[in-house]
Parts: sequence; structure tokens; C-alpha cells
Amino acid sequence: MVDGVHTFFKDGLRLDGRRKDELRPIKIKAGVLKRADGSCYLEHGGNKIMAAVYGPREVHPRHLQHPTRAIVRYRYNMASFSVDERKRPGPDRRSVEISKISREAMESVVLKEQFPKTVVDVFIEVLQSDAGTRAAGINAAAVAMADAGIPMKGLVTACAAGKISGEVVLDLCKEEDNYGEADMPIAIVPRTGEITMIQMDGHMTFDEFREGLELALKGCRQIYELQREALIERYKSGVEGEE
Amino acid sequence: MDAGKMPRIVVPGDLLSEEPAKVGEGAYIEDGKVYASVYGVLDKKDRIRVIPLAGKYIPKRGDTVIGSVTEISFSNWILDIASPYEAYLHISEYPRRIEPGEMSKYIRVGDLIVATVLDVDWSMMVELTLRENQFKVLRGGRLLEISHTRVPRLIGRGGSMISMIKRESRCSIFVGQNGRVWLQGKPENMKLAAQAIEMVVREAHTPGLTNRVVEFLRANR
Amino acid sequence: MDDNDILTEIHRDQMYNLLQRKEREDGRAFDEYRKISIETGVFERAEGSAMVKIGDSMVAVGVKMQPGEPFPDTPDVGVIITNAELIPLASPTFEAGPPGEDAVELARVVDRGVRESGAIDLKKLCLVEGEKVWLIFIDIHILDHGGNLIDASALGAIAALLTTTIPNRRYGIAEEDEPLPVKDMPVSVTMIEFEGNLLVDPDYLEESVASAQLTVISNSDGSLSGIQKLGSGPMRVELVEEAVKLGIEKGKEIREEHLLPLMKTA
Repeated sequence: MVDGVHTFFKDGLRLDGRRKDELRPIKIKAGVLKRADGSCYLEHGGNKIMAAVYGPREVHPRHLQHPTRAIVRYRYNMASFSVDERKRPGPDRRSVEISKISREAMESVVLKEQFPKTVVDVFIEVLQSDAGTRAAGINAAAVAMADAGIPMKGLVTACAAGKISGEVVLDLCKEEDNYGEADMPIAIVPRTGEITMIQMDGHMTFDEFREGLELALKGCRQIYELQREALIERYKSGVEGEE
Repeated sequence: MDAGKMPRIVVPGDLLSEEPAKVGEGAYIEDGKVYASVYGVLDKKDRIRVIPLAGKYIPKRGDTVIGSVTEISFSNWILDIASPYEAYLHISEYPRRIEPGEMSKYIRVGDLIVATVLDVDWSMMVELTLRENQFKVLRGGRLLEISHTRVPRLIGRGGSMISMIKRESRCSIFVGQNGRVWLQGKPENMKLAAQAIEMVVREAHTPGLTNRVVEFLRANR
Repeated sequence: MDDNDILTEIHRDQMYNLLQRKEREDGRAFDEYRKISIETGVFERAEGSAMVKIGDSMVAVGVKMQPGEPFPDTPDVGVIITNAELIPLASPTFEAGPPGEDAVELARVVDRGVRESGAIDLKKLCLVEGEKVWLIFIDIHILDHGGNLIDASALGAIAALLTTTIPNRRYGIAEEDEPLPVKDMPVSVTMIEFEGNLLVDPDYLEESVASAQLTVISNSDGSLSGIQKLGSGPMRVELVEEAVKLGIEKGKEIREEHLLPLMKTA
């Protein structure tokens, strides 16, 4: 749905001055919470995300336990104050879907056989929302899981491509997303280059889909470096705890 | 580790070697290459391994741990060993022959004991035994809980770090593999020892640590 | 995607062996659908309805329409609400209660296809701007789980919409009822990935054995309205591209064979 009044490009640049293949600014900090086994605070454009990981730990209720491996649970939640119009607390259908596909994006890298009968609980809280929250959540989740010492084949990185004013671009901001013609979040395991999540909502030709995929893959590779840096920074001076 | 060089921190998925090599914990081989599987410090001295910076304690046969009794059920004491898995101490593993009815006479719910991991089977059933140590219930001291990932550093090569702390703080200290540490001594000495241990935990992967800990202990005695 | 692990392993081995000979358990080609049958106008109290069977899967879709309030930020536009119920009679694995994550995902994916394809011109559904618009409820009831419920549901949804009559008389909107104008026919094509192969229209067993599944929703002109990957198994980029291409191709076939005839009778 394109609003004819809005123009999204001026002199080849987008509303916020970015080029079509540019990411919004990202800040990632690992190990920010004390009680959680692992945590991460992430900002991406206007998104503010807190991720916490507990586990591996005992599963309750017991019947959810798997005898030979750990299970992974993922809860994506938006705080009531995270959006312009207050969101009622609790999971809505959108959050349920996002939780499911995010869990599926992360599960395969966890070396689950090392912890039978336990659960790795991932909690994502969106404190401020600015389009692209599910990708931001996955990026924060991966860092929090590593921070918790969860054994994984590699990190998972996510990013979204989109389409505005007929142009395929990387990383839509909120204004672009509201009037955009397509939104395509993906998640990959940078170590192997494989895709663990892909969705498209909107209208795209096959060629536009391929263009978007390529842009999103490039975006993921950049974000991966930031995830690694955040973890290495946490122990750069070798000192744990207060900062 | 005190070689004066900053350690290399790696994250899961980092490439550690392009060629196959012997791997230890925290690393895995795929397509002939070695990758890190945990967030930690790279150690290439012998096998390629990554010493984790975080993570839960998973019991292994032979580990000596400090456990707290949470329940007495049939002929087992059930213990919390600071792990996602609880542990079982069967009555037959008590150093003397006792009757099931008398179990709480010897070890009560809430007691802290030192035990050795006898076996961990495929279903993560953890069995403990008391027959390998001088058994006693821990009382009249202080319990510290640290990340089990710091235990090797706290013990030090050949026990050097922990012996030094015991000596300089004049405390008896027992370090369980599961990250529980038992201190015994005069209150002010235990406080000193605890501070020294906290220092080791915080700065585990920095060079020159041993000297700094010795200096701290001597300055604050 | 996994029920009983031991049986799943056995089936996985069987499937693997068959695959080596380029066979599927029921003898289909990798890009072949099971028998599809669509019956419309089956539920008289619904404004539109369809009963769809794909192989052993059976899905009932009912479309109900009633006037209601528009969303505050889109006052001149009709509303589509899609819901799916995975009711216990359809499978021993379905539990009674509010929709779980699978039901929510299924409904949202089907909804995406209908909405993003522009099949329904929502602007035409405005009755009084800011006050009254037509609400379209698409309700999907799974009756028999034989695998690939998404395609069956999506087919049912569009078939029901193509044969929906707007109940003008009942609500005193106009003298005559009229058919709901439907401008496009989005088709959902689901495939699983198994050992680097793409198998279209997975049956129950194939679905339970696969670790990755991709649904591609495409329109009459070959453009895309939706893509959804299900399952935690990773997929190579090239395979994803191949799958999307295949999805558009098979979508065209299904549209021509099963939906076009409906348009003619509508």
C-alpha cells in the first residue's frame, strides 16, 4: 500500500539519509543483566531490545522434557510502552508467530545433545519499536546465548530487506515500513551461510525477491561483525562485572 | 596463562584451524576444519580447545563437588549440585553401613557435603559417592558460589593459586568442581580469602594475576 | 514437525532410501501434488465456503461477512480477519483450546496471501467512512491432518472467497445480494527440503520427517505475496531461490486447473 503523498527518495537517498544498501546504526552490549545466565542489550535504529537467556536448566512442567537433548523456548514480547498506541500486555497473534519463527531460526545451531532433559529459555523484550524488531531480537538472542555459555555451532544473524516506492532496499525504518510494499526478514548462520529464517510479506517479483535476498545477506554479514565485537569487548580487559 | 600475553577470546563459530587437529572441550570439527563451539578463551597448547567464560556445570565421573541435600527419598539423598541436573547419593555409598530409617541421623536435608561423582549415565542420572573422601558434613564455615568455569584458574597449575591463597589467608579452602567453595577459619581470614577468590574470578584471564593476588593478600592481612 | 522420535527416525531412513531412487512413498514425482478436490458452497449459513481435500488432508473454510467498525487508522477500508482451528478430531496431535503457535502461523500465512495479493479490494467494502465497513471473517477448520495444511487452507480460503455472496439484504445495505469482487487468485505452494531435494506438497509423514519447509504464495502475474519458512533446519541460499521459483510455477498450474474454473461459475 503506497501512499501517493510520501516520497521516500530524494537525490538517491532515503528519508533518513541512507543509501538503499545501508543499515541503520547498531549498538550491541553483552552481559548487561545480573540474574540471567546470559544477556544482551541491542539498539538498531530506534529499536531498543533486551535479551535474556536462562539455561540450560530444568524443564517445568516435566512432560516437556526431551530425554536425549535440550529444548529451546523463545518468547518475543513487546512492552506496552514500546509503540505509539499502547499495546495490551501479553502475547498477541503476531508475537506468537514471531516467537515461533525466531525459535526455529536459532534452534538448529544449539548443540542440544550436550544437555538432555533441559531447556534453554530465551526472552526478548522490545522496549522501543522502530521496524525490524524480529531481526533485532534474533541478533540480541544470539549474543545473549553465547554470553550464557550455551554451546553453539555458530551465531545466528538476522536482517530485513524491503521495498519502498518500487525500490528494493535494506533495513526499513518505521516510516518506510508503514508505507512499504514488501518486508522480507531473513536469518542466517554466518559460519555456514545457510538460511534459518525467511519470510516475505507484501508484493515482490521474483527478481525483486532475489535482489532483496542479496541485500539482506550483505546486511547480515555486517551485523555479524558487530555481534562478535560485542562479545569480545565484554572481556577485552579481562575484567568481569561493573563498567 | 600468566605469560604476559592477552588471551584470544573467541565466539561460537569462529574458525580455529583450517586443518584437522586434536580437539578438546569447546571446539568441534566440521569438513576438516576446527571451529569454536563456546564463547571463551582459546587454548592451543596441547589440543585445540576453548575454555568457556560462562556456562552451567555439567557433572563428570570423578569430579569432586559440594552438594546440598534437598530431599531424602527411599534409599537416596537427593542433592543440588549447582547444575541443571540433580544428584543422587545412595545409602550404600555412605562410608558405613546404615539403615534407611536412620539416613537423616547422618545427613539431613539442608546439609552441605563433599562428594565424588561416581557415574553419569546417558540419561544424565548423576550418582555420587562418599567412599572416596574423608566424609564430613560441612559446618561452621562459609560457602562461596562461583562460576565453575573459573575453578581451574582458582586452583592454578598444580594447585599453585589455591595453595597460595590458603597460606596467605590462613584458611582451609576446598574448591568443588561445581563452583562451590568452602572456607574455614577465623571470620576476618575467611573474609580476606573470599575477597582474594572474588579477585581471581573477576580477573581470571588477565596476565600477572597471581602476583596481584599475593600483593593484595599481604597488604590486607 | 516431530512426534515420536524413534518412528520419525525409521521413516526418515525409509524416505532416504526411496529418495536415492528418486521415489516418494506414494510414488509421486518430487514436484507432484496429490489429488486435489475443491467443493464450494457447501455450508449454507456461510456467505462463502469451500471444502478442500489434498490427498488425505481435509479442510473446511467458511467466509462470513457482516458490517462493523473499521480500524481507526484505516477508516475507509474493509477488514479481513483470518483464523484457523486445528481441532482435535483432525489429528491425535491436536489439543482442544485456544489456537497454539501452529494455528496462529497458519492463519497469518493464509491471511498474508489473500491480503497482499490485493485479491479483495478492501476500499470497495467501505459503507460509511469512519463508521461502517464490511468485515470479512475467513475461518479455517482443519478436519483431517494428512500433511500440508497450509496449501489446503489457502486454497479453501480463495475458493470460498471466489464464491462468496455479500449479504446486503440481511443487513439492509441494499436490495440485492451481490458476489464479492475478487481480483486475483493467490496460490500457496508448500514444499519440504530433504537431503537437498525439494518435495512439493508433503504428506503427513514427509512433513514430520523434514526439518525445513518453505511456503511460497504467488499471484496470477507470477509475482509474490508471501514467503514463509517453517522449521529449524537450515537451507542453502540457492535452494531457497530454487524453491521460490518452483513455487511460482506450481502456483500457476494449480490456479489454472482448480481456481480458474471457479471464476467462470462465480
